Parts: sequence; structure tokens; C-alpha cells
Amino acid sequence: MNKAANNRIPTDWNGAIMQKRIAGRYAAERRFKAMGFVAVALSTLFLAFLLFTMLGQGVRGFQRTEIAVDFDFPTLTSGATAASITGANAEGALNSMDLPGIIELAMSQQYGDKGGELLTSAAVANVRQMLLADPQLISGKQRLWLPVDSRLDVAYKRKGEPAAEKTVETLSQNDVLRTGFNWTFLTGADATDPSAVGIWAAFKGSLMTMAITLLLAFPVGVFAALYLEEYAPKNKLTDMIEVSINNLAAVPSIIFGLLGLAVFLTMFGMPRSSALVGGLTLALMTMPVIVIAGRNAVKSVPPSIREAALGIGASPVQVVFHHVLPLALPGILTGTIIGMARALGETAPLLMIGMRAFIPTAPQGFTDAATALPVQIYLWSDEVNQGFVEKTSAAIIVLLIFLLGMNALAIYLRNRFETRW
Amino acid sequence: MTGTALLFLVLGLGLVAWIAGRARAAAFVRAAKGGPRGQVNSLPSYHGWFVAICAIIPAVFFMFVWQTISPALVTNTVLASPMTTDLPQDGFARAAILSEARAIAQGFQTTAFQAQSEKLVPLYKNALAYYSWIGMAGTLALLFAGGAFAFTRLKPDFRARNKVEYLVMLALLFASLIAIFTTVGIFASLIFESYQFFSMVSPFEFLIGTNWNPKNIVTPGADNGYGAIPLFWGTIFIGAIIAMLVAIPLGLMSAIFLTQYASSNIRKLMKPILEILAGVPTVVYGYFAALTVAPAIRDFAVMLGVSNAASDNALAAGIVMGVMIIPLVSSMSDDSIAAVPNAMRDGSLAMGATKSETIKKVLLPAALPGVVGGVLLAVSRAIGETMIVVMAAGYTANLTANPFDTITTVTVQIVALLTGDQDFGSPHTLAAFALGLALFITTFLLNYVALRVVKRYREAYE
Repeated sequence: MNKAANNRIPTDWNGAIMQKRIAGRYAAERRFKAMGFVAVALSTLFLAFLLFTMLGQGVRGFQRTEIAVDFDFPTLTSGATAASITGANAEGALNSMDLPGIIELAMSQQYGDKGGELLTSAAVANVRQMLLADPQLISGKQRLWLPVDSRLDVAYKRKGEPAAEKTVETLSQNDVLRTGFNWTFLTGADATDPSAVGIWAAFKGSLMTMAITLLLAFPVGVFAALYLEEYAPKNKLTDMIEVSINNLAAVPSIIFGLLGLAVFLTMFGMPRSSALVGGLTLALMTMPVIVIAGRNAVKSVPPSIREAALGIGASPVQVVFHHVLPLALPGILTGTIIGMARALGETAPLLMIGMRAFIPTAPQGFTDAATALPVQIYLWSDEVNQGFVEKTSAAIIVLLIFLLGMNALAIYLRNRFETRW
Repeated sequence: MTGTALLFLVLGLGLVAWIAGRARAAAFVRAAKGGPRGQVNSLPSYHGWFVAICAIIPAVFFMFVWQTISPALVTNTVLASPMTTDLPQDGFARAAILSEARAIAQGFQTTAFQAQSEKLVPLYKNALAYYSWIGMAGTLALLFAGGAFAFTRLKPDFRARNKVEYLVMLALLFASLIAIFTTVGIFASLIFESYQFFSMVSPFEFLIGTNWNPKNIVTPGADNGYGAIPLFWGTIFIGAIIAMLVAIPLGLMSAIFLTQYASSNIRKLMKPILEILAGVPTVVYGYFAALTVAPAIRDFAVMLGVSNAASDNALAAGIVMGVMIIPLVSSMSDDSIAAVPNAMRDGSLAMGATKSETIKKVLLPAALPGVVGGVLLAVSRAIGETMIVVMAAGYTANLTANPFDTITTVTVQIVALLTGDQDFGSPHTLAAFALGLALFITTFLLNYVALRVVKRYREAYE
């Protein structure tokens, strides 16, 4: 055996075989590195593609096509004056004026018998707002720009139905079409006509739901985190609490929806579709996130702080509420914002508790039927009408901007206030 | 007076109680200075908190109880009046009239659409006023009683701090218990409704049947279309197979590239970008899958010659779901690779192995349990995911392995069963809870095993 070892020829590292082998190994190394790069690049590309698609379509959702309408107000209203629609009675005076009829008449004078069909249903409200903002308009001939019907809107922006394309072509030649900013989209509510829809009602519903969620999940989450980190004795009950929290953090969100349906709606008889029930359900979902973030933040406060406070005679409760909590608060807030951002984008549990209703006006109270922004996106995505495609993407842009803002705030808080002990 | 206004009044009076208690304790402090009785036990503010808590808590508790039970009492009072005898007996029409009358009486609605509800408005107004008056009086009486009781107990040697701290500890404990209540609530409601479901439909049909076409009228012994095997298969096919085929290679390779190869600048840039993928709401992914990915895949399949390619194919939902999971797999792999002791890596590199050989032959085998745990967590996330599949996958139960075909999942069917206009007790609704129970148990087991694997693996190197 020894003899064989002595007779071994030393490896010829410069020989062709070994060089080839090393080259092969280096090639494998490069391939592996390239695979890693491709993986990261693919993920990034997918994100970029998603955002690009949403942005490309969504931008059109913020625009609307407007048509020029010539109003001869003195004739149309048989002599209404600016004075009659100013002051306290302005709304009533406008109501008694039959604006829809006036607009219909003006349209048919200018664009023929079926002229009224060119406009969207939101046009009446638009004229109303214009008149309220500037009553002087009514005392003369005016050219107002009003939003067109959704079919024409789609045809003007890109390819639409052949009939609508033809109408748009004729109108464009007369130079009576233009693109304007769609304020209705930011201030309106859901509607059956895509050019009259807005996200304000859904957004308000989201805000109200989030308010309830924050109000419940934040105190409960912080208290539970403090208890588990600072006071909890080592026993069966504490173990059970910890297991529950870790488990709840991983339960699919749709299960929380089932819980909300069975307990809040059926057992307690709370109002269906309301922001109150939505907020309660999302609070149960967000609470474990806040507890876990809160525990990490409390854990990172060094023991010397506690010992110093105890040493000068503070009680355990005073130690925690006067010293530990203020120091842990930035970390807790960061976790809370991230949890709230997750709740803001959550859809499935809200579907379960009926927040998918058609909401044509913004909810006034926490028990009114409401919907939320992500649910509104889901509802619009289901619509057959082509006009809803860009509205859905536009609503997604608004949602993403808010989520991005919340996450940026969380990162800022973390960098600004986090202390490295 | 509305509930919100009353709540603010209670809180305002609570503030008054706090000020009163604190002032009285401050008077004790002044009197005790130089006096024979020594010092006051607690700081004045603790006396204030004691009085305020004693005043507010019972009052608020009563308020919430009253808010829950008073609607039923109002309805009973209205129904007891002789004017309601001519209401239709049909439950739905009756409820519509009652709720409209109530809405008008509360001022939410101005005009009545049903003639009968107009008559009931004054009745409702009276009943509502009566019960809200009782609620208000009861709340305020409890508030004053509690406040007065606490106020009379204040003495220089009263241990207000200990009492307040005891209550704070109770509040902390109660907050922690909410997690247990929630878990128990989920489990109990799922079990209870599923039990009702299984008393109508045989568990065998549900667990081993292959025909999913739920009928709303159930005949015992017959095939009622509640065989959930196609749903289980669809869930596994989309969530555990297609999504993982995307997420595991991309997530793992991203983690390896970012931790082992990329410079720290690139890492700092790319990690947040991957995290954004996890932060995009699922409804956005779902819309993207349905609008862009699914048609593209269908066209691709048609080009390949697959004739029955569906526009709501399994592949689109699975791929997009996989992309959503990438950050989870990546961060779990990242953690477990980082936990491998440096000595192992250095040893391998010192023996002349290239970086990729070290990763493939040393780091990954050592980190494998952690990676597997991460993948299990990812699977549990994927099978519980709802919006992507609701929007991009189909509603037709289909026992197929063709990724271009339409396929449905457990979560899609829960949504489909619950968004119709069904009674709560109908087999459709109850079936959703049975599916929910199956989902809950599966994800719970997956998470449990995953956490055990990860924990044991961490201990091996510590």
C-alpha cells in the first residue's frame, strides 16, 4: 500500500485534462451565478411588468373624454337669473329647474335627436356643480365641456365598438371632443356606468374599516405584547396564548371571514356589510401581527433600563409604562403600520361578511352598508363593460400609492427612531 | 342622544372624576405635610385614575350591553302594539317594512316606499326614544354610582396605586386572552357549522366523493354533489405544485444570489424590491393574472395545439401565486443559509471547491431543513390564498392534471358558496364552513410541522 502511494505520479495541473476539468468547473460556477442573477431579474421584471401594466391602463382611468355642449341658458331655463341660484335656496332652485331635461334639450339641438345619449349620467351632477360654483353662467350662452358616455369614452381613448368609433370620428372632425381630468373618479361612488364611477365611497369605507381595526388591534396588540414579554409567568396558560398567537398569524385570511360571518353577523346580529364588522374582523387578523412586532420591540429594550427603574423604586407597572413602552414604541409603530397596510389590501374576509354590496353613496356611519377599496377593485374587475378595465387599474394605482406610502412611513420611522443599544 | 355622543359624555365625566379624585388626594398631601399621620400612600394621579376607572368601566360596559339588546326590545314593543296586527305574516316582507319604518324613525331615510311602514314610524319613534332614554339614564346612574363609591374610599392611607396597577394587569391579561378567544371562536364556529353540515351530508361523500356540484336540497343517502376531492386536488395542483414550481427555484436562487454573490449595494437595492412583491395586495395579483397572464397563456396553449385551453386556466393562477410566494421562500432560505456556521463554508472553500460547489454540496445540504420548513410555510400560504384563484382560476370542479384546463380550489368554492343569497342554515353555507375546517386543519398542521422543523434545525447549530 505504501509502495503504491510512493509510485503515484503527481497530478499534472497544467496538463490538458486538468485544465479542461478546471475550465468545466469554472463554467459551472458561471452558470450557477447566472442562474441566480436570472432568478432575481425575473422576479424584478415581473414586478416591473405588473406595475407597468397597471400604470399604463390606470392613467386612462383618471382621464375622461369631454364633449362641447352649447347652452343657451336664458332660453332653456326661460329666464332664470344668477340671483335665483345663489344663496341658501340655490340647491332647491336648481332642483326645480329640471336640469336633466335642459341638458337633453341642449344636446338634441346641437347633436340631433339622440344627442342626449352621448352624455354619461354623471353629466347632470357636473352641470349642477358648475352652476353652483359660478351662478353667472346661467345668465348667458355658454359652452360647457361635459363627460361623454362610456362607449364613446372607450372609443376615443383606444379601440371601441364600431358604432361608437364612427360617432367619435364624426365628432372629432368637428373638434368638439377633448380629454380632461376625471374628478368624478376621485369624488364619486360606484355606478353602473363606468364613466360615472368614483372611488371615494369605497375609499371612505376603507378608512372607516381601518379606523375600527386600529382602534381595537393596536391597544390589544400592545397590551398582549407587554404582558407576554414582561409579566407572563411560565405556565400552561402562557404557552397556550403563545401558540394561539403564532397560529393566528398563519391562519388564511378567508377563515377570519368565516369567523366574522358566524360570530359577528349570525350570533351577535351586527349589521351586514358594515364597516364595523369589517373592522372587527380585520382587527382579529391584524392583532397577532402587532403582538409579534411588539414583542420583538419590547425584547430589544435592554434589561439595564428596567433594573435602573426598579432600583430607584418604580413598581413593575411603572417600569413598563414609564420606561420600556416609550422606548419600544417606534418598533411597535413600525409593526403596526405594516400590519395595517396588510389589512388595507385584504379582500377575502370582507367578501365573506358581505362588504361586496353595490354602494352608490358614501357610507355615513360605521353601521351603514359599505365597501372597501380592494373589494371595489374586485367588483369592477368582474364587470363585463370594457370601460371598467381602466377604472379597475386606476383604483389599483390609488391603492398601491397608499400601501407604498404606509410602508415608506414605516421604514422612515424605523430609521429615524430605532435605537441600537 | 346618539351612542357616540353618550360615549363622549361618559368619557368627559370620567375626566371630571379623574380631576376630582386627584384634587382630593392633593388635598391629603397638603394636609399630611407636617401632620402627625405621616405620608399619603399613592401619588394623587393614582387616586384620580382609581376614581375615573370605577366611574367609566361599569358605565361603558352597560352601554355596550344595552346597545346590543335594545334593538330587540324596541322591535318587541312595536310588535306588541295593536297597530301591527295587519302586517304580512311572511317573514321577509315583514322585516322589510319594519326595517324601513325604523330607518325613517332614526332619520336615515326620509320617505317611505311601503305604505304600511309610514304608520309604524311614530311607534318606532316612541319606542326608540323610550329605550334610548333608559339606556342613557342607566349609563349615567352607573357612572355616578361608581364614581361616588370610589370617591368616598379615598383616604390618605388608601393604596390607590396597588388597586390601579391590579386593574392594569387584569387589562393586560385580558388582552392576551383575546388571542385564545379568537382561536377558540374560529375552531368552535367551524366545528359547529361543519357538524350541522355532516348531519345532512355524509362525511364519506364529502371526503372521498369526486362529484362537486352542490345541490341546495339534500337527500340523505343519494349523491348530492358534495364530493370535495376535485377541490382538494385543485388546491394542491395550483398551490402546492404549480406555484411551488415557480416559487422554489426563483426564491431559492434569488436568496443564494443575493447572499453569496451580489455586492452589498445590489443586495440593499434588491431586497426591498423583492419585499414589495410580498406587499402587493392579492387582489392586484388576481386582476393581473386574470387580465394579462391568463389570456397570454391561453393563446400560447392554442399555439402549441392544446385545443381545450381555458381562459381561466390553472397555470395563470399558479404562476402568479408562485411569484407572490417568492419573497417568503427567499427570506426563509436566506435565514437558514445564514445560520450555517461559517466554519463549514470556509472549510469547503479552503479545500479548493468553487463557490457554487460549496453552495451546492455544503451550504444547501446543511440548510436543507430550514429551506424545507420555509417551503412548507409557503405551501400553507398558497393553499389558503383566495383572491388570486377567485379572480383567475375557474369555478368548475375538474379532476384533471392539465394545467391549461380550468380547475377550482377550496377557497374559490368557499367564496362561491357564501356569496349567493342563501339562508345561513342552508347546506351551501354550511358546506363552506366544512371546507373552511378542512383548510384550517391543513394549514395548522403545515405550520406546526414547519415551525418544528425550523426550530429543531436552528438548535442543531446553536
